[in-house]
Amino acid sequence: MANLDTALKDAMTIDGAIGAALVDYTSGMTLGVAGGTPEIDLSVAAAGNTDVVRAKMRTIEMLKLNDDIEDMLITLGGQYHIIRPLTGPNGKGLFLYLMLSKTRSNLALARHQLRTIEEQLEL
Amino acid sequence: MSTGDTFLPRRTAQQPTLPPPVRLPPSLAGDPSLPYPAIGTELHELRLQIPGVQGSVLGGVDGLLITHDVPDGLDPDDLAAMAAATFGLGRQVSLRLGQGEFRQSTVRNEAGYFAVYAVGPRALLSVVGADAINVARLHLHAPPVAERLAKLLAPA
Repeated sequence: MANLDTALKDAMTIDGAIGAALVDYTSGMTLGVAGGTPEIDLSVAAAGNTDVVRAKMRTIEMLKLNDDIEDMLITLGGQYHIIRPLTGPNGKGLFLYLMLSKTRSNLALARHQLRTIEEQLEL
Repeated sequence: MSTGDTFLPRRTAQQPTLPPPVRLPPSLAGDPSLPYPAIGTELHELRLQIPGVQGSVLGGVDGLLITHDVPDGLDPDDLAAMAAATFGLGRQVSLRLGQGEFRQSTVRNEAGYFAVYAVGPRALLSVVGADAINVARLHLHAPPVAERLAKLLAPA
């Protein structure tokens, strides 16, 4: 079991990781961030991606799919962004957000590692 | 013993040494020289850009309404007054803790938010938001709006 800081540190050890954050999508606020660059403000990314997560959840609800988001992948020209809502009993309303460099990362491995981190995260 | 035997010191009126009265600047409310169309655009844009913003009010730190963009059902005068009350508490807290000027205060209720941002030293921007509002986005978006509003109020 890992706490918030360890989990974010672990997320940053994933190959190609640029930044990671744990975000509360009821408010859009970050509970913790790691990495990032001077140009990339992770709190801006968190607030913006909160709207993405909410929109997708609303869509699933409207389609009456009766299902949950396991993860979301957004592919940019030079980056991958992975969003993973937390499933644990204390993780309600939170998601992990990971930014990866497309050239330096292995997507399948990164996705697997993020799942492990999410499963082991204890708040 | 009669009271006439004792001589009590005579009380004489003393001129109190009061500090000179504080010269307060005139209220921003009702000032016809303010650029109302530009201010209105800023408030309107805020409502358009952030889903969940129900309305916003620009008021003076004296609690008087300058202008607003709120739908029917919300009283802008009340909101301006409540913003000033919030500011008053925030300022006292800041004075006591030595943390400088008041910047922002958020009240979260069961069914929504009320956020107050300082607009320069003399005005306040208050925003009423639904419970579902992305409050982090509001906190990222509103301070630059407050800064632009402060510039619009500055020449007045």
